[in-house]
Amino acid sequence: MAPELLLDSNIRLWVVLPIVFITFLVGVIRHYVSILLQSDKKLTLEQVSDSQVLIRSRILRENGKYIPKQSFLMRKFYFNNQEDGFLKNTKRKVVPPSPMTDPSMLTDMMKGNVTNVLPMILIGGWINWTFSGFVTTKVPFPLTLRFKPMLQQGIELLSLDASWVSSASWYFLNVFGLRSMYSLILGQDNGADQSRIMQEQMSGAAIAMPADTNKAFKAEWEALELTDHQWALEGVEEELMSRELDLDGMFSKELPTGIF
Amino acid sequence: MLYESMSFLYYLNPEKYKLRKWREDNHRNSEQIVDVGEELINEHASKLGDDIWIIYEQVMIAALDCSRDDLAWTCLQELKKQFPGSQRVKRLAGMRLEALEKYEDASKQYDSILQDDPTNTAARKRKISILKAQGKSAEAIRELNEYLEQFVGDQEAWHELSELYINEHDYGKAAFCLEELMMTNPHNHLYCEQYAEVKYTQGGLENLELSRKYFAQALKLNNGNMRALFGLYMSASHIAASPKVNATVKKANVKYAAWATNQINRAYQLAGRGTKENKCSVKAVEEMLESMQITMS
Repeated sequence: MAPELLLDSNIRLWVVLPIVFITFLVGVIRHYVSILLQSDKKLTLEQVSDSQVLIRSRILRENGKYIPKQSFLMRKFYFNNQEDGFLKNTKRKVVPPSPMTDPSMLTDMMKGNVTNVLPMILIGGWINWTFSGFVTTKVPFPLTLRFKPMLQQGIELLSLDASWVSSASWYFLNVFGLRSMYSLILGQDNGADQSRIMQEQMSGAAIAMPADTNKAFKAEWEALELTDHQWALEGVEEELMSRELDLDGMFSKELPTGIF
Repeated sequence: MLYESMSFLYYLNPEKYKLRKWREDNHRNSEQIVDVGEELINEHASKLGDDIWIIYEQVMIAALDCSRDDLAWTCLQELKKQFPGSQRVKRLAGMRLEALEKYEDASKQYDSILQDDPTNTAARKRKISILKAQGKSAEAIRELNEYLEQFVGDQEAWHELSELYINEHDYGKAAFCLEELMMTNPHNHLYCEQYAEVKYTQGGLENLELSRKYFAQALKLNNGNMRALFGLYMSASHIAASPKVNATVKKANVKYAAWATNQINRAYQLAGRGTKENKCSVKAVEEMLESMQITMS
């Protein structure tokens, strides 16, 4: 619909590529800075123990059908018994760690903000100021006019197709796009991975609440009360013997030699 | 992505890639590790970069297995220089003392680690292995039980405990440990098979039925598990031969045993195809099965 614009090839050389380099280098620097600023999380023995108990109870609920009924009931009794069931009777001292009172969480939050959000804003703003006044690239899919003020920051043309975007949006595109490059160069758990950090911030609020051990225990107790034992091995012989065993590939000429 | 980067490493330095693979798969091929690792350390130390530290650790543990105290000592010294206050290095020092049978000193070493960090599982497990090495199985069992009360999720520990109980012939408790393992690893046919064997050893009609079911489950998970196939045959035959069962159960078990026999014969046929000894071994299996077979009325 819109006529094809021919961009100056200097834009490619002096805008597109530098923005990619800048984004990448900033990401690498963020990774190393986050390593330097890492603080050790000290967990108490009780916390570790409780989290493992909760995992065990969950596994019992999910995979209890693989063990005999008697064993399942024995474990369910251990957890849920009225008088001395573990989940029913263990009370932990609850200290809710709100961000204001718990100093370590506060510093963690600040560090997270400083290393991730702040550079992004600063550099985004700088790029916007430096590389303003021209379109940088075109996104391959058509966009509505609503996106114009967001993606075409410095350009005041009403008739310009919204697919043509400015350098600031190219920068943001890079921030998310270079994630896979980071995992190739820096290895899996790298600190430059912004979107992963944002995901963690959102889910971290739901998971890492150590004060809620009591609530977690209560929730597990209820869930376990409701679980029934459906033995997965009821008809296993019939299923097995309905056809011949698949012995292909078992006996090849070369046996693997012992390794010790 | 990871596979590509690993194969890229292979061309750079195949020994390093081999060591890494062994490390990740938890192989205990200590002689090979010592050979490859020693060469790497002595000749290519500069090319390894930061990987050298984890290679030192891996080679040191392998050297302790092979009684290469000199090599273990060099690795330990390098690690101590690089990571002076590290608990991981302290644990390695403790392991070296264990290898020299200086159990008191090793125990003190681990206690000092635990003082700094009570949640350190490695040190606790080493202390239990000291007890096992000294032959004090009752104490080892007790300590391991206490450990498991704190760390219920440690599968390695559950497996170790089941082994200790089997050695003490306490099959009921061994079965409990194996149940934990079966729940956390429902698709592992080896745990099913081991559980079935324990139940079979316990004996009694109910346990035999359970063992037959779990042998069948192991076979279902892995059709090639010959041990489970034999186990299925044995447990089915035993149930069929027992005087306490009624006719339907007997008939069903005879059917199971017959099916198992078929599969065993098939497997031996397949195994020996093309070799001269084939006829002898197949005949031997048939005779063995016939001699074990209890005639049904």
